[in-house]
Amino acid sequence: MCGIVGYTGYRRAQPILLDSLKKLEYRGYDSAGIAVYGEEIELHKDKGEIAHLEATLPKIEGNVGIAHTRWATHGKPSRKNAHPFLDCKKSIALIHNGIVENYMEIKEKLVEEGHEFVSDTDTEVVVHLLEKYYEGDMGKAMLRALKDIEGSYSFVAINSNEKGTIVVARRESPLILGKGNDENFVASDIPALLKETNKVMQLHDGEVAVVTPKSIRIFDLDGNGIEREWETITWSVEDAEKGGFEHFMLKEIYETPETIHNTLLGRVSALEFAPTLHNDFSSVKMVACGTSYHAAMTGKYIFEQIANIPTTVELASEYRYSSRARERPLTILISQSGETIDTLGASREAKLRGCPVLAITNYMGSSLAREVGERNVLYTRAGIEIGVAATKTFTAQLIALYLAALQLASQRHSKTLDEIRRMAEELRTLPRVAWGILGNATKIRDLAKKYHEVRDAYFIGRGLNYPVSLEGALKLKEISYIHGEGYAAGELKHGPLALLSEEVLVVAVAVQDHTYPKMLGNIREVNARNSPILGIGYEDDEELHRYVDDVLYVPTVSNIFSPVPVSIALQLFAYYVAKERGCEIDKPRHLAKTVTVE
Amino acid sequence: MKAVVLAAGKGTRLGPFTVSQPKVMIEVANKPILEYVVDSLVGNGIRDIVMVVGYKKEKIMSHFEDGGEFGAEIEYVTQSKQLGTAHALHTAKDCVDDDFIMLPGDNVIDKTTVSDLTEKKKGISVVITESEYPSKYGVVVLSGGNITKIVEKPEEEVSNLISTAICSFEPSVFDKLASLMKEGKYNITDLIQILVSEAKVKGIFTTGMWADAVYPWDILKVNSTALDKLTEEKGGTVESGATLKGPVVVGEGSIIRSGSYISGPVAIGKGCEIGPNVCIYPSTSIGNNARIGPFSVVEHSVLMSDVSLGPGSHLSNSVVGPGCLFSSRFSATSGSTVFIHEGETHELASVGTFIGEDSVIGGGVVADPGAIIGARSRISSLAKLSGRLPNDSIVV
Repeated sequence: MCGIVGYTGYRRAQPILLDSLKKLEYRGYDSAGIAVYGEEIELHKDKGEIAHLEATLPKIEGNVGIAHTRWATHGKPSRKNAHPFLDCKKSIALIHNGIVENYMEIKEKLVEEGHEFVSDTDTEVVVHLLEKYYEGDMGKAMLRALKDIEGSYSFVAINSNEKGTIVVARRESPLILGKGNDENFVASDIPALLKETNKVMQLHDGEVAVVTPKSIRIFDLDGNGIEREWETITWSVEDAEKGGFEHFMLKEIYETPETIHNTLLGRVSALEFAPTLHNDFSSVKMVACGTSYHAAMTGKYIFEQIANIPTTVELASEYRYSSRARERPLTILISQSGETIDTLGASREAKLRGCPVLAITNYMGSSLAREVGERNVLYTRAGIEIGVAATKTFTAQLIALYLAALQLASQRHSKTLDEIRRMAEELRTLPRVAWGILGNATKIRDLAKKYHEVRDAYFIGRGLNYPVSLEGALKLKEISYIHGEGYAAGELKHGPLALLSEEVLVVAVAVQDHTYPKMLGNIREVNARNSPILGIGYEDDEELHRYVDDVLYVPTVSNIFSPVPVSIALQLFAYYVAKERGCEIDKPRHLAKTVTVE
Repeated sequence: MKAVVLAAGKGTRLGPFTVSQPKVMIEVANKPILEYVVDSLVGNGIRDIVMVVGYKKEKIMSHFEDGGEFGAEIEYVTQSKQLGTAHALHTAKDCVDDDFIMLPGDNVIDKTTVSDLTEKKKGISVVITESEYPSKYGVVVLSGGNITKIVEKPEEEVSNLISTAICSFEPSVFDKLASLMKEGKYNITDLIQILVSEAKVKGIFTTGMWADAVYPWDILKVNSTALDKLTEEKGGTVESGATLKGPVVVGEGSIIRSGSYISGPVAIGKGCEIGPNVCIYPSTSIGNNARIGPFSVVEHSVLMSDVSLGPGSHLSNSVVGPGCLFSSRFSATSGSTVFIHEGETHELASVGTFIGEDSVIGGGVVADPGAIIGARSRISSLAKLSGRLPNDSIVV
């Protein structure tokens, strides 16, 4: 889980690399490093953020270089373990994103052969492998080295014997090539390149590219040349800027109404909600991680209620251990980035098991989209999200799940056309519902002011709003560092009730659906333990305020759609709590946006 | 050269249409008014824009972000209390250190309006234009190309030339502003008044577009002005059997169903569902994600985003705020009416109805000409609407 950039051309590489690297900071930021080749390879790296590296960096001359921002997996965050790494002769520098699984055995062998290692990382073996196999052609050395390596990776390397050449390789870890005039770029994500070029190309799994200022040649693992067209990216680098808002997270929450518009665009009016699904399954399995997993859990209730089909949910990292029964469920894979390594692995496993698949992702041409094939992708079209805490993309995933459920309902006739139309029409009203909550932001901020000093918070809900409670707790803990836990309200008395005290906030989602009377019962259980309770209820609820300390009102919608307003309200609540506590909202400690390690 | 755009005000007199968004974000021909201003500046090569925001600033910021998508670089400054336009300009003091131009963000203008200023300006200059209703504005008296006097909202006819408040200034203007505000005067007109008495202020007559909305019915005028420049664009699906005449814009992902008849200029946003069998007549704007049910007629009206108009409805000379939901057979026909606001009488020849955002309207409701319905109102079936209803009204 790291950010990678590389440049070769006629300009001074250092400022270009640092600028691009900053755009990738969301991918990880516990150490950073840069290697530039001028007279010789000059290497600088340190623990801490990119800004720290930049401040301590001398001016380096040289028109070719690579840089890296790291999120530690093997080896602690430290200067020693920061990338890039050099070989023994200090003529090759290399950076890496991913994991070399068999690095121990390679390392032992290389040590026997006399190579000297300076770090604990898996990455360092690769640079020594390149040294070992280098016979005057970096491309060939890379191809040979890859034969020894197992794992997932994107590698970027330079060699002082081949001035101006960058060699890259990819397997299960994103890598993008960018084209300029007499200069070329590589990066692990598109935003890093947008300031310099909008002509990009994805490097696919099992490919190696040799990049010089004037050419880019791509090879497969056997060394055969591959031709590929350049794509033009239409979004601008400014997409990645904050535009007046204090934090990306707030900006992105405010983009929710527009995001819902985009997710629905052209799908509701045509009554074709999602890719046509084959009808040869009798159940659905959703597979995802993190926030997407919470969307998937909500999706279970959405699918069971709208499409009337049994649905199970699995964590992507656990999916491979699940039963391979004869049943072939429709497997829905959800990943915002489309690069989440666990979800990618699950998609391969699902295909091996012969299951029909549908991917819900935000990124066109992402690994997940390619893995399942464009025909089987439902794009959320939420635009780029920089804040590490997922906000608008979560809402977009919910909307996509409603669309997929409606598609299934209309194919399986589990609802009448009239009911489907009515639900589709209500989907259209959700952008306004989102604005309704945003218009209430000051009230949510006041509530956050009141409760920002609590020690712990329990989020409770039932039915559709149980996973929404989990997500509310996740948002709070990831950005405000308050210990937060989501619970099915009925589970409260099976344990956590023992922990309630005056310092523990209970957030109870109590919209007036069929779970409402039971939720009020659970709220009374909490009342008896002196914990403050924040209720989340519909704005026309005249009863709830009698049972709780404060009510956060959300616009009234049909119950099936209640996760949309409730989750947006909880996002804002988490944001303002974190702000009151003075937290680094867009870059919470130890977390990264796209998790490309298992 | 930098431009300072004033976009902090609420636009109180627009009633239900500025409940959750500032006046500058009202959409006509499917673009917020402020975007006309930004486009006009960028069209003249002015990319450095200082935007003074205040009331519901998030709506502006989440639309324009840092301006990149619009070819501009926007810097935001916040006017936390909306004391007046001169005070708003003063908040931008630290962002400007050279000659600059200043524009109100709430008027629809085009490239020419700005180029007339940038090409002809000399020192302090003010863009002036002709108005049908000069009594609403600051009327200017000219002598040899210079403004000699400015009369705010004249009761007797002076001339039909008014100040657009689009000006070019030198940085020294901020000292003037400071002393002006010490006297308790907070408006740009006060500023121009003083400048006129002290120095030469050039009046530049523009042939470019300029339209202002003060009252709800002015939105219709601003909309038709903006639609005059519409160029045809078809992004969505037009089913066979639908007829589109004149300049019609159909946004991406929209569908025009069979049997519909659309006579431009008409702008239809993204993701809309129109028809089957819907007639839309000239000078109509329909926002994003709107739905117009079968057998409805819409003419010379503005339907903002997320509106759903049920089957068999008729809207004429009307403005409907975002998110309004109509069940079937809503009727708002136009006619003449008299509207009295803060002692001022407005005789309106041909107006329909004006409905604030997120209102829900039952079946068979009829609205009288000139009815103004507050935001988030709930109207039950078969009601007859007239006069002025406050926000959150419930009509049974």
